[in-house]
Amino acid sequence: MADLESAYPVPAGRADRPGGPPEDWEAPRERWLSTAVRPAFGPRSVLLEVATRLLTPAILTFSVFLLVSGHDRPGGGFAGGLVASMAYVLRYIAGGRHELAAGIPMQPNRLLALGLLLAGGTASAPLLFGRPVLEVVSYTAVLPLFGKVKFASYLLFESGVFLIVVGLVLSVVAALGARMEAEEYEARERGGAWGPEEGGAA
Amino acid sequence: MNALLAIPFVVPLLGAALALLLRRHRRVQAGVAVATLAVVVADTALLLAATADGTVLTSQAGDWEAPLGITIVADPLAALLLAVSSVVLLVVQLYAIGQDIGGLSRAMPQVFHPIYLVLTAGVCLSFLAGDLFNLFVGFEIMLTASYALITQAPTRARVRASMIYTVVSLTSSILFLTGIALVYGLTGTVNLADIAVKLGSAPAELRMVLALLFLVVFGIKSAIVPMHFWLPDSYPVAITRISAIFAALLTKVAVYAIIRSQTLLFGRDDISTVLLCVAIATMLVGIFGALVQDDINRLMSFALVSHIGFMIFGLGVNSVAALAGVVIYLVHHIVVQANLFLVNGLIRQYVGHSSLRSMRGLTTVSPVLALYFFLPAMSLAGIPPLSGFVAKVALFQAGVGTGGWLVYTALAAGVVTSLLTLMAIFRVWARGFWGTPMPDMVEARERLKRGSHLGGLKFMAVMTGVMVVFGVAIAVCAGPLSEVAFTAAHGLMNGSAYIEAVLGSDTR
Repeated sequence: MADLESAYPVPAGRADRPGGPPEDWEAPRERWLSTAVRPAFGPRSVLLEVATRLLTPAILTFSVFLLVSGHDRPGGGFAGGLVASMAYVLRYIAGGRHELAAGIPMQPNRLLALGLLLAGGTASAPLLFGRPVLEVVSYTAVLPLFGKVKFASYLLFESGVFLIVVGLVLSVVAALGARMEAEEYEARERGGAWGPEEGGAA
Repeated sequence: MNALLAIPFVVPLLGAALALLLRRHRRVQAGVAVATLAVVVADTALLLAATADGTVLTSQAGDWEAPLGITIVADPLAALLLAVSSVVLLVVQLYAIGQDIGGLSRAMPQVFHPIYLVLTAGVCLSFLAGDLFNLFVGFEIMLTASYALITQAPTRARVRASMIYTVVSLTSSILFLTGIALVYGLTGTVNLADIAVKLGSAPAELRMVLALLFLVVFGIKSAIVPMHFWLPDSYPVAITRISAIFAALLTKVAVYAIIRSQTLLFGRDDISTVLLCVAIATMLVGIFGALVQDDINRLMSFALVSHIGFMIFGLGVNSVAALAGVVIYLVHHIVVQANLFLVNGLIRQYVGHSSLRSMRGLTTVSPVLALYFFLPAMSLAGIPPLSGFVAKVALFQAGVGTGGWLVYTALAAGVVTSLLTLMAIFRVWARGFWGTPMPDMVEARERLKRGSHLGGLKFMAVMTGVMVVFGVAIAVCAGPLSEVAFTAAHGLMNGSAYIEAVLGSDTR
């Protein structure tokens, strides 16, 4: 193993290695994201930040396409929600927890609750008219430019599912990524990687 | 009719969403949660009234025809269990609210209520599911909520216990999904009634394999020996109100699934030998485990495992009378287990721990607490005139009526188990309740009396009292209860009413 280590160069980007490039050699000079960027993992990277900036609108648009097309083609609220939440996950990876907080419209929990209300409400609305749960009402209209368009109550239900999925993924990111990162940061501020009790000087 | 069948699982989900939105307003949130469960209680009571004569109610979700769409079915068995479970859920929730007002718990109430309501939805959906896949969905909703609940107020022990619990439950879920795939491959349908019709023409060996697979799947979840090891390790560690609801409901939902799948879907007699052997093992292993425990919660968890054996025994005897006995036993066991765990929670509030070794003289510390423990405990052991006696007599009579050496062996095991249960309870009584109280227990009581927690504690005690009264009421109402139980058992033994209600009369 020692032979291998000496045969291959040390990975770049380590600030503690004399002779290696500085830690922020990949960091962009321009502002690509909306907050002061502190990435979730490792140093800043121009590639990641530009890609995030360019991809976020495309991913979100695609997620809405999936949501709308889900009635009789592959897609639907679940798939759409997963895709949409990936846009935020990407943003979190590129820009850190403040970037995530700046990007999401409301707290993940609230998003989840609203989605559940919307889906549950649409599912149970037919009960008020004595019809079975989850029954779909649809209405086909002819619009200029679009042609024949079908509006159906399943779209509301699927939107609810969409919100639930986004809310759930963001809760997971917030709990397992952002909050742990914040705690680690605080511990580092107090001194020592694991806080003053276990490691290093306070 | 449609609304009646959908409310038990739709309304708790809506309530959970509202409770999540109202996290910051604790009183309003608690109000929403209680109102939601009150609606469910009222609805299930109506369902029970509508099905008590043997009617099977169905609703086709989305108005899709039966074998294709999702069917929601309520027969007398499902309606009875729903009604009892929702009352227990409501009482435990009020107990939890009392604990929170008193500031007596470290659990976070703002997330407790939404998750608890989701658990309610899962339990109700499992009882009402008319197809295998929806049964799976119901189980998953219930289990996912329980994963979150078991780690409330996390400690090292709780996280460890919840990992065991989660891994075991996921294993059984994978097997469940495999079973559904196999059944679908064989019959081309997941609708329970449709499977029942189509499995009839399947080869007997294949049917046997599927029956055993589903027995293992639900056996893991209902903790029958030898798949019980996870339960005494995980349930007692959670905070008490949560172990109360787990012990009362989760295993019983799985027992319900065993009953439903083994009676409706699979051949009737070929598996009963297995069931009887498993029942004997469950009863004895569980109660021997209980006899050597020091922690009251662990002791009750082992007793819980042991008494699951009685229900499996009834299913193994496989007659109308035995199934009626199982139904009565289910109702009795749900209430008594919830009750015992709630009392354990009160004991923990008084004493600060649940170890019998350092507990003495609880009767002097709190006579009411002693009474609250005594009644359900005697009921568990089967002392007349309490509900456990009614349930056991029904089961044993059915066993004697059927006969056969294996049934008699199981009966003997049942009698021994009842006596050993009594012995385990006497151990608790002799160590924890008799004698002069330990000085630190008297001090703790004085502190409680002077402290600001008293209002919450009183509320918890009142709710435990309500549960005790409910348990006694089961024995008082044994006549009407056994009528419903016999109706349910007839429906189980002769699945045609269920199948006709789901598929329509012309399909047969």
